Amino acid sequence: MRERIAKAGPGLLFLLPALILFVVFVVYPIVYNVQASTLRWDGVNPGVFIGLDNYADLFRDPVFHTALKNSALWIPLTIVPQALMGLLLALALNRGVFASTFYRALFFIPAILSPIVVGIVWQRIMDPFNGVLTEVGKATGLDWLGGNFLSDPSTAIFAVIAVNIWMWTGFSMLFYLAGLQLIDTSVLEAAKVDGASWWQTTTRIVFPLLKHTHLSLLLLGIIGSLKTFELVYVLTQGGPNHASEMLPTFAFQEAFQLQSVGYGSAISVVLIVVAVTASLSMVRVFGSGFITGEEKRK
Amino acid sequence: MKFSRKLGATAALAAAGGLVLAGCAGGGTAEEPSQGQTGTNGTSAEGADLSGSVTFRSWSPIEQTTAQMVSAFESDNPGTTIDATIFNYPEYLVDLQTRASSDTFPDIVGLQPGALTQQYRSNLMPLQQCAADTWGDDWQDMFYPIGLEQARAGNPEGDDNFYSLPILVQTVNLWANTQHFADAGQEIPQTWDELKSVVDAMEGNDYAPFLLPAKDGWLRNAVFLQIANNVEPGLVYQAESGDASWTEASIVEAFDYFGRLFSEGIAQEGAIGLDAYPSGANQFEAGNAAMIPLGAWWIQQSDPTKDQSTIPELSLGMEGYEPFLFPTIPGGASESQFVGGIDVSLGISANTENPDLACAVLTDWIAGSGGQKLIDTMNDIPAVQGLNPSEFTSAKQEEIWNTFVEDWLPQVEYSRYFDDPRIDQAVADALAAVATGQQTPDEAAAAVQSVQDEVLAG
Repeated sequence: MRERIAKAGPGLLFLLPALILFVVFVVYPIVYNVQASTLRWDGVNPGVFIGLDNYADLFRDPVFHTALKNSALWIPLTIVPQALMGLLLALALNRGVFASTFYRALFFIPAILSPIVVGIVWQRIMDPFNGVLTEVGKATGLDWLGGNFLSDPSTAIFAVIAVNIWMWTGFSMLFYLAGLQLIDTSVLEAAKVDGASWWQTTTRIVFPLLKHTHLSLLLLGIIGSLKTFELVYVLTQGGPNHASEMLPTFAFQEAFQLQSVGYGSAISVVLIVVAVTASLSMVRVFGSGFITGEEKRK
Repeated sequence: MKFSRKLGATAALAAAGGLVLAGCAGGGTAEEPSQGQTGTNGTSAEGADLSGSVTFRSWSPIEQTTAQMVSAFESDNPGTTIDATIFNYPEYLVDLQTRASSDTFPDIVGLQPGALTQQYRSNLMPLQQCAADTWGDDWQDMFYPIGLEQARAGNPEGDDNFYSLPILVQTVNLWANTQHFADAGQEIPQTWDELKSVVDAMEGNDYAPFLLPAKDGWLRNAVFLQIANNVEPGLVYQAESGDASWTEASIVEAFDYFGRLFSEGIAQEGAIGLDAYPSGANQFEAGNAAMIPLGAWWIQQSDPTKDQSTIPELSLGMEGYEPFLFPTIPGGASESQFVGGIDVSLGISANTENPDLACAVLTDWIAGSGGQKLIDTMNDIPAVQGLNPSEFTSAKQEEIWNTFVEDWLPQVEYSRYFDDPRIDQAVADALAAVATGQQTPDEAAAAVQSVQDEVLAG
């Protein structure tokens, strides 16, 4: 036993700093949140223990149902279009088109802008009174462009999703460009020699070889979707009437604007459970090394 | 299985560590003022030898103005320093709550009346002694009545302390672009029917007759409160205190009139998606609207301390604007009611290590040289009467200022706030639902009443 400890000692010591940081910045907030979620508490004055009442209220709360539904919509409706458009852009730019470096930078710019700036600009673009889309609609006869996208409860979440896609497609493109650089050119040349068309090469060789890029984008997309806050907050504040509410905006509103830190913590705990479940499911399905390229153990 | 046990043990250990660290969630942080601190009755700025430093955190006044106020106080009181930080409002709420929980509450804090002040009441020092020592026993006469009334909003019964004192007050009202009115040959509307007829007459121009930036809950509520008080003055506050029902006919009618702003085409297309700041304000200042609901603070667009060449033409000396009250509602009060209250108030930490300096700063910023700096920028209307800007840039600006300070503010009887944040949110949600056609006025009123029932049930 002593020998085993002596053997493992240096390794544990090397792990200790990371472990301390993990406990302080990950475990502590999670446990704090779980504890706070059992209280009726305004975050400042002494709280009252109410057991699981916050969770019972939460699962009855229609706003929570809307937020869950929006998160469920957000994940596929942002990840798939972003990945598809990013892949198409990457394929185009990888063929050495004129000024491809310029286009790479241009398409990537939205990803490095502040979501606050993006939100304010798109709010102006989509303003049906005199926004850019409305003016374009008037000039071209496409009147539908001047629709109340952000102020109609049935379209608000889709309008925010569209802006999110605009913002993050360049990021996917960059990932795919990096993935394309890693594909062995001899494989592509062999396909060419065998008479494979561009479509066949892309769908049967390039696309499968980009598996790790797809999975990385999937994981990053899910994480990004679950923590989406700024863009929603600036574009709609979760409205109208909570129609575009997401779990983080709902938690923020409850904890800080409505002084219900206990209830906000319950929302955060649900968010943690969803995030952990999603991550573990991916590890379960694709194996723990799916991002690094290590194949899943059979 | 071995792996699972190890994983389980590690998780349990980590959780236990976290639990130890997290042991204080919900434990409360407020402490009684310590010995030697002046606390409730002993804070005194008068004759005190001021030195040392205090911290100030708020979302208002804006950073540049706060810097001028800090500088004015520090110049008058050598040896003192004020460490001031200004946030945007949502960020400030997070910062304040975090600091209250971590025993790093600032010496002086910006507060809103009602819920926010009450949330931090146990962290705040009563201020009446500080005020009396600085301004004399009749200090309350200096303030506009609505400011003092709201400063104590939500205090428990029998607690007459002032945990915050107002620094700026305001009315909520409408503003007209007088150029558009003159060009259209229209008069500023006094009644609902006149409002509709003015909007009809102005339709078809390249500006919105009535720009309603209704994305923000605070603005929806401010407009609603103006309508509701014009329908039956004071009834909504009775509903909030449980003495009346939200489903009473007059309140339902107020929801209905709010909805008509949208359904009858008075507000512009997409009104519920437009925010007041920056979009609505920018549009109005750019001349893209004839009317907008904001408040007295709009006068800050003509800030005399700014480089006047940078001020848009309409705002220069307020030449292009005229404030007016929300039109009367058919069958309601015969005259438009004044709705308003505190813009921002200041509180002092119960545990400040330098209560004399904190008191001196607070009173200076309300009515001293720091306050003068603040009012010189026309950030909003001062909470104390008789404090005027050192300079006006036009007769129109002075006329509008005098309207606010002499005619309107002394008459403000109805609050622009609800006391409970849950009611505030419920009303804002109900108004959004009415505006988008998701609820009828009856359903909206019933939805607010159901939240009201929960609030009253505790």
